[in-house]
Amino acid sequence: MPRLRLKYYALLREQAGCSEEQVETAASDAASLYGELAARHGFSLPREQLKVAVNTEFADWSRVLADGDEVVFIPPVAGG
Amino acid sequence: MSAFAFNREPLDPAALAAGLADVAAGGYASFEGWVRNENEGREVQRLDYEAFEELALKEGERIVAEAVERFGVRGARCVHRLGELALGELAVWVGVSSGHRAEAFAACRYIIDEVKHRVPIWKKEHYLDGDSGWVNCERCAEAAHSHAHGHAQPHAHEAGGHAHAGPPAFDYSRQMALREVGAAGQRRLAGASVVVVGAGGLGCPVLSYLAGAGVGTLHVVDADTVDPSNLHRQPLFSLADTGRPKAEVAAERLSALNPGIRVQPHVTRFSADNAAQLVALGELVVDCSDNFATKFRVNDAAVLADKPAVLASVYQYEGQLQVVRPDADGSCLRCLWPEATRDGLVGNCAESGVLGPVPAVLGGLQAMEVLKLLLGLPGQLRDEVLVLDLLSLEQRRLRAPRCGECRGGTCRRIAGLAPEPEEDLELALELGEAIAGGYEIIDVREFDEAARDPLGWDGARLWPVAKLLAEAPGDLDPARRYLVLCSHGVRSLAAAQHLRAAGIAAAYSLAGGLRRQSRRAAGG
Repeated sequence: MPRLRLKYYALLREQAGCSEEQVETAASDAASLYGELAARHGFSLPREQLKVAVNTEFADWSRVLADGDEVVFIPPVAGG
Repeated sequence: MSAFAFNREPLDPAALAAGLADVAAGGYASFEGWVRNENEGREVQRLDYEAFEELALKEGERIVAEAVERFGVRGARCVHRLGELALGELAVWVGVSSGHRAEAFAACRYIIDEVKHRVPIWKKEHYLDGDSGWVNCERCAEAAHSHAHGHAQPHAHEAGGHAHAGPPAFDYSRQMALREVGAAGQRRLAGASVVVVGAGGLGCPVLSYLAGAGVGTLHVVDADTVDPSNLHRQPLFSLADTGRPKAEVAAERLSALNPGIRVQPHVTRFSADNAAQLVALGELVVDCSDNFATKFRVNDAAVLADKPAVLASVYQYEGQLQVVRPDADGSCLRCLWPEATRDGLVGNCAESGVLGPVPAVLGGLQAMEVLKLLLGLPGQLRDEVLVLDLLSLEQRRLRAPRCGECRGGTCRRIAGLAPEPEEDLELALELGEAIAGGYEIIDVREFDEAARDPLGWDGARLWPVAKLLAEAPGDLDPARRYLVLCSHGVRSLAAAQHLRAAGIAAAYSLAGGLRRQSRRAAGG
């Protein structure tokens, strides 16, 4: 199973209770990884409302994840 | 013939002296500054003079007028060379004609000393070893000039009260000393006009630094008034400003900071009706707003006007920065977020909290990107989003390429500027009145929030906003009236909007949220 480094921002960081973690996952792509994490951490944001970046590039949710990838979840923020 | 002038051609002292000829003058004194072959131990080969001419001419004329008035001389003039000068050439000439010699000498000395200190002129020395460097005349060296000067010089003006007639001139020397800025960059900034949407946590640093940099015209757009809860992160305001429009207070403070620029307040929301007009006022727009609706509107208006927009947002200890470049085929906010994000899903500063330096850092970065754009500096952020975590001090630059929908400078996802939400969406009511008035109450706070701070009335439906947005209208009755509430009225507004769109015509949001309630329904 690929081992991934995850990084959370904003609301996701709060709900996950940490800003980063390492996981081993059977998730085949970014979308199913988010589904897994949402269930585990109780993420309230629907996937459509956030962005995923893999190795410093914004990626599609269908992106297949490989061992060692850094996956960053970014909700939009509006504070000013 | 103006009293102070620049000349790109060699100066002719005889002709200049003749210009002051006056049969009533018993004396004439002049000073000539020449290009010398050495400075601080380095051999100089030639030098270039540059000036921020618009400002320099005004300041130079002021100095000559001061000398005439102070010393009672009959005529005075100063001419400064610009451009490339060889060794031995005449760089600056001062001439004074007067009834008596003492005043002529004193006025001449006064003019050259003040010009050296106060007029923004820079010289670049080219050294024999092939190196070169900008030398900041004397303006840089002495912040406390007028004080020290007043005591040290024989022509000290204590007799006449204060040393200078008016306040000191704004001094850009520290930034003009930068090779990439110089006089040309300063002129560029003086001619620039920038629209800043939002004068809050991001807007305060953006406006302060752009005013300080000498951006000629700043338009400040904000409909809000100063609230004591703003002050920890909005240092343009003070407690005494409470209740006053932010745009107006900001304009006052910025004009005091730099009287040489124009600051235009616009006490209005950046709405679909005025977005195009407001964006047309500047060559670029800076989004310092605190809600998604405005951020997307700024993006869309900038893309439609083919102008750059510098956007930032903060959340608690984090921030994001993006520069939209429709004028340079760059990506826009909708390349990243094709569907405009709804307000209410993720918290704002009021609901989630924010530490003051977070918007200060992000606003500082925005000001930096604006100056990079205006001055054509390298390293401009483009097709990337900068994500900053100020707790871990980690930053990431995430590539956000232009989407396939953006063609020919416009984005097909932007049909036009989004219309305003319904005007009557918010109700300012006491909860008790609403219940008595037959409204069904929908509490869109999170379960733990509601448990911590109960309504004190169990007739409300608890429906956290994310669930509501995903599930509504559910079993709601289009014929009934609903009042949606949360702690500050932001999430409830988004939820009420969503309910309206989902066919619930009489959905309203509790204005200001529970925070504004004077008492709870059952609490009395």
